[in-house]
Amino acid sequence: MVDGFATTIIVAGLVLAGFSGLMALLDRPPGLVQLVGLTVVEVILLVQAAIAIGRMFTGDRPEGMATFVGYLLTAVLLPPLAALLGIAERTRWGSAIIAAACLVIPVMVVRLQQVWG
Amino acid sequence: MGGPPAAEGARTRAARRTGAGFGRLLVAVYAFFALAAGVRAGWQLATRLEEAPVAYLLSALAAAIYLVAAIGLARGGPAARRVAAACCSVELAGVLGVGTASLIWADAFPRATVWSSYGIGYAFVPLVLPVLGLAWLRYTAK
Repeated sequence: MVDGFATTIIVAGLVLAGFSGLMALLDRPPGLVQLVGLTVVEVILLVQAAIAIGRMFTGDRPEGMATFVGYLLTAVLLPPLAALLGIAERTRWGSAIIAAACLVIPVMVVRLQQVWG
Repeated sequence: MGGPPAAEGARTRAARRTGAGFGRLLVAVYAFFALAAGVRAGWQLATRLEEAPVAYLLSALAAAIYLVAAIGLARGGPAARRVAAACCSVELAGVLGVGTASLIWADAFPRATVWSSYGIGYAFVPLVLPVLGLAWLRYTAK
């Protein structure tokens, strides 16, 4: 894991979760800001994943490979899932879905860092 | 997901009710758990089944139940509702049963599953989720 990227994902995820949570409380459906935010998070996640996979192929493998790959794959799939369901649900619950996903992403990144150790 | 054709009538209305609003958040969380548990169980079963077959197979079973529950809630027809209710019930029984068993016979569970210690590794969401699912199915049935 690259610490700079990891911190960026965690901060971006928490900011987006806070914003989406606020939108849900204000009874607002997901807007462009949240979709752009999810895209940014996804791009950083993909770069992070590419770097991690590259390092695994050069022999620098984490202790718990299964856990690491599982978390990585899940983390990368989360923003698209949240965006699809968020777009489908044009109510406050769409914002709530994005908020929930954006709370889970930092947790997954922290777990990734722990597993890579 | 576009709007369903109007001809589907009553089934469409039911679908809208279980799979929309708060229900869509439930579908999202169920889909997430299916994904997280499924990816992990798939990898573990493929690479080291012999280490802890019970735990890994339980995780795979849990993932399958989460996936079927997500689809059932998202579709929401009369049959889909029954399927979703059955999945939520099995899940609740699973999390309570495996949770209790993992505390009493810790040795039998050398590797954690989503349901170990009532889902403590997943912030107890596995314990709350089936209760919310069943409550939502009841609420939307009115």
